[in-house]
Amino acid sequence: MTDTAYALEVRGITKTFPGVRALDEVNLRLKPGEVHALLGENGAGKSTLIKIITGIQPQDSGELIVNGEARSFRSAHEATRAGIGVVHQERNVITDFTVAENIVLGNTPVKGGRVQWREVREGAKRVLDLLDFPIDPATPTSLLSPAQTQLVEIARGLYTDSAVLLLDEPTASISETESKLLFDVVHRLSAQGRAILFVSHKLEEVFAHCDTVTVFRDGRSVAESEPLSNYSKDTIVDLLVGRTLAKLEVPDRSPSERGTPALELRDVSTFSGHRDVSFAVHPGQIVGIYGLVGAGRSELAKAILGLDRITEGEVLVNGSAAQIRSVGDALGRYGIGYVTEDRKAEGLFLDQTVARNLTVTVLKRLSNAFGFVRERAARATADEYIASLDVKVSNRDQLVGQLSGGNQQKVSLGKWLAANTDILIIDEPTVGIDVRTKGAFYQLIWALAEQGKAVLVISSDLAEMVTLVDRIVVMQDFEVTGSVLNSHEYDEMSKSVIRLIHEERIDVVEG
Amino acid sequence: MTSRSNRLTSVLSDNRVGLLLLIIVLVVLIGSLKPMFFSPAFVIGPMLTSIAIFTVVGLAQMVVLSVGQMNLAVGGMAAIGAMGSAIVFQAFDVPLIVGIAVGLVVGGAVGALCGVLIAYAGVNSFVVTLAMSFALLGLVPAVYSWVSTGNAITVQTPGLAELGRSKLSDLCIGDTCGPDGVPLILFVAVAAMIVIGLLFSKARIGREILLTGSSDRAALLSAIPVPRRIITVHTLSGMLAALAGFMLGASTGSFTPGIGQEFMLQSFLGPILGGTLLAGGYVSVIGTFLGITITVVIRQGLLLFGVGIEGLNILLGTILLIALSADRIRSVAGARSRLRASRQQSPAKSKEEAVVS
Amino acid sequence: MSARLARLARDQNTILAAVIVAGVIVLTISSSGGFLSPISIETFFQFLAIPIVIGLAQMAALAVNQMNLAVGAIGGFAACSAAVLIADFGVPPWLGGIIAILIGLAAGVLNGLIVVLTQINGFIVTLATMTILSGAQYAIVGTRTITSANWPEIAAIGTARPLGIPLIFWIAVGIAILLSVAYRQTLFARNMLASGGNPLAATLSGISNNRSLVTAHGLSGLLCGVAAFLVLASLPGANKSIGEDWLLSSFAAPIIGGVSLTGGTVAVLGTVLAATIVRLVDSARAQFQLEPSWVNFVIGAVVLGTVALDRVRTRRPATRQRSRRPPPDAPPTAAARAIDPGAPA
Repeated sequence: MTDTAYALEVRGITKTFPGVRALDEVNLRLKPGEVHALLGENGAGKSTLIKIITGIQPQDSGELIVNGEARSFRSAHEATRAGIGVVHQERNVITDFTVAENIVLGNTPVKGGRVQWREVREGAKRVLDLLDFPIDPATPTSLLSPAQTQLVEIARGLYTDSAVLLLDEPTASISETESKLLFDVVHRLSAQGRAILFVSHKLEEVFAHCDTVTVFRDGRSVAESEPLSNYSKDTIVDLLVGRTLAKLEVPDRSPSERGTPALELRDVSTFSGHRDVSFAVHPGQIVGIYGLVGAGRSELAKAILGLDRITEGEVLVNGSAAQIRSVGDALGRYGIGYVTEDRKAEGLFLDQTVARNLTVTVLKRLSNAFGFVRERAARATADEYIASLDVKVSNRDQLVGQLSGGNQQKVSLGKWLAANTDILIIDEPTVGIDVRTKGAFYQLIWALAEQGKAVLVISSDLAEMVTLVDRIVVMQDFEVTGSVLNSHEYDEMSKSVIRLIHEERIDVVEG
Repeated sequence: MTSRSNRLTSVLSDNRVGLLLLIIVLVVLIGSLKPMFFSPAFVIGPMLTSIAIFTVVGLAQMVVLSVGQMNLAVGGMAAIGAMGSAIVFQAFDVPLIVGIAVGLVVGGAVGALCGVLIAYAGVNSFVVTLAMSFALLGLVPAVYSWVSTGNAITVQTPGLAELGRSKLSDLCIGDTCGPDGVPLILFVAVAAMIVIGLLFSKARIGREILLTGSSDRAALLSAIPVPRRIITVHTLSGMLAALAGFMLGASTGSFTPGIGQEFMLQSFLGPILGGTLLAGGYVSVIGTFLGITITVVIRQGLLLFGVGIEGLNILLGTILLIALSADRIRSVAGARSRLRASRQQSPAKSKEEAVVS
Repeated sequence: MSARLARLARDQNTILAAVIVAGVIVLTISSSGGFLSPISIETFFQFLAIPIVIGLAQMAALAVNQMNLAVGAIGGFAACSAAVLIADFGVPPWLGGIIAILIGLAAGVLNGLIVVLTQINGFIVTLATMTILSGAQYAIVGTRTITSANWPEIAAIGTARPLGIPLIFWIAVGIAILLSVAYRQTLFARNMLASGGNPLAATLSGISNNRSLVTAHGLSGLLCGVAAFLVLASLPGANKSIGEDWLLSSFAAPIIGGVSLTGGTVAVLGTVLAATIVRLVDSARAQFQLEPSWVNFVIGAVVLGTVALDRVRTRRPATRQRSRRPPPDAPPTAAARAIDPGAPA
């Protein structure tokens, strides 16, 4: 029954987390000697699959077959021993250890319980040379830059000399030059007959280096191990986002860009690395900030809210310079709201009720002169937004953690609608929610703009940008590389946007 | 129908009800075996005094647990607060209420200092309050030995003895006097419970504190002044600890460096038994009171049976461990029910999607 | 280790050593040389052995981002159990000494298991076991003191003075060296440090954090057991107050000695040096006839200061990690320069 032609086979794996079905009977077949791309939007389930393959999380059902044998790993160590190497998306180094020790971590050469430091150093040096990464293996990891840290992660994946190598967005935060070196190594390894699974958001990389492709959407495999040559970038994007979006009725919008912008950034540089970022959002306008993962989009939003230090330039609200030191300042003094990208960690209080979540931004308004919350007014506010956003709850005192992803996102947005700010920043409005809710969200955002609010949408989903916004600002490597008025024509816009990203790349290489 | 049965199960699974039943059972059991247990002057009175003091100590810990942090210096803060009161009583002969206020300010200031270090220097609350408890452990006896002979201050301020040691039976309106076993000091604890209860159930600040405890990242990004709320809870904790220290001093009439020594374990036992989550985001004032009550009842009962202090310690430690495991089981069960809820939802969700496609 | 970090580590220990030298000089002058008399030196080292070992016991817990509040209770309980077994049950003294060490190990492992099973912070767990063990300690010895005359063989260790320095101090130093080598060379210790430094990274690399927690608490308990053995060897007897005052010094030594409170590092030499400084403060207190409580205050204040400073020191790299670009002070790679032409070469 089992086909040994595959180095790794995933058969009908399902995984459910509280509130989400992360993987729904997905399949994937990985042949020796191929570079296989695994694509999907954020939250489509790619990283979950990697964690299941490497024994960090168990699957609920389905099979994992390695070299023709059904396996299930109980720890990352077992997976490594079965010949599966991995570079995880998160940067997981132990900063107290040296580069060499981080590279061998989990596979430290030992004799009689004693660490063989010479072998550690030599083994680390070997993979570092392979990557052409000129760093002393004895360097403490705490001194490395994020890009260097990422290279250490990659070196760790290569150290075990595995038959199957899983790369989870390895190029998200490294430069073009470093990526090129990585792909040289990848091709060398695949020529030796190793199977490589490559997870990425960067379609250019995928088309330049991969042979086969699997696409996940909302936890399902919508393309399973098919030759990449069957697809073009456009058809892949269609698979990634689903064509349902095109059926949405896009309103005819042409807001004015004259007059004083509601929110304007002038040559803003930040401590976390943004350089000379400028753009403006006018009342009634929806501006989208588009960029790949690691381009510094969410970080920019947080800098506007005073959570990062602005080293140069200024933020203007309604034409006058704003001094924003906290989210409280942003809300109370300048009327700026921010709907976070990561709703579970940053947007919601999962173990609190829907009502408490919806009223958090307006507690001051809902309190009397003695500082007590006016319960009736709070209940009314909560009910108002539960009704207007059509949040599916049994009652307002249900815990938010029990809601589905789409309803959670509605609450996360609702608490800022309740604050009724003139400026609203929405970070990845539709990640991990179903198609119908997506449409509802777009309608809502358009309605906000019609009311004269200035809306800044951050997204890594180009199709969403093309549908939703009036102007697209492109970010790359913590800089704005340009902006275009949205024509709502996907092909035209994707060309302009990709050109803006590429021009920056060329500038860098020449500069 | 379902909502009513839900409410019934939630009442039964509420551990406060369980605690109350357990207290009643214990009181009946101990009382029937040792009728001495119901002696107002020798058992009930002192027991209620202990409950009053330890409830305030438990609240001092609870307010910090509400943001998912801890105060290991409750004992030290109680000691230094009580010392502050005692010194102004002795040196300036101030009225009762001023002395109490000075004690609360001293305790609150020490708490605020911890809060500032935690909120702005970003140091873990364990470490700050542990180091603070060490500093207080040294400072308080040193100051006592400096300002007084014999390492204790006996205070004779008018009203103190009445507040600390009188019972309701000493208060008479005409011929009707209160019951003999109820000490006046219990009402100080009740007042503290009402204030803290109102804070967390009704006030905006309390709501903000609980949301901070639920998720400090989300709180920060929802315009809640998180650092200020962290300082608020530590200040409040210091004030409550100082109040408890003062109550202990008032109940014995003498203020010593030993005040607060046995507070730490109790301070955790009360809230944890009462259902306050260590992770933050949920508190229970009544639960804390009941948690303290049960430990004090057990302690008194065992003393009547002639069990020594060492046996009590072993037992209290064991209770804490069991309560901790229960806390863990509760949170695991909570996660499970959430999971179950999501599983029930997911078929519905796929149906919804089927309609769309 | 890079020259830069090595220098930094040396700095911390150099400062501590300099403080020790200065303290010794001050004490010598103020005692007009009396501090350096053989008797005084002997006493100094005699009472330094146990603080070193319990400091190391706390360090073992801190290395995995845990705390062990029960150091004193474990040590006191182990010492008293052994004393009772020897005095009342006729257990041979040598066996009793070994039992003390094993009791420490068992209590530590138990702490670790409870932490792993309940997933509750080690602080609360050890608060509970501390209460239980100190109650048990009192239960078994009551108010009496069992004198060391019951175990002359072990007490002989306490009075031995090779090279004029108490043998028990040499034992403490030996343990420190052993630990230092173990933390550097053995895989099980490196795995503990990995779990302490970044539990997620450890999990992803197949290292069991649970095992690390149990091992670290076990090691911490084992060292408390060793301290209990040293108590039997060096003190005139065992009673209920053994271990009561260990908590502060157990935290003071590693924290002042430079052990990170966020886990992932150890500083054996620093811990030993800091324990020596604490001992000097105590000597000074005796010499100037101050209240014993002032020592606690000074040490407590120093610990608080160290903690706040430690945070200020470690804060920068934490902010740095969040930023995606190399900060100006990180060594720029060719790649970094390609992204950012302004980066210093």
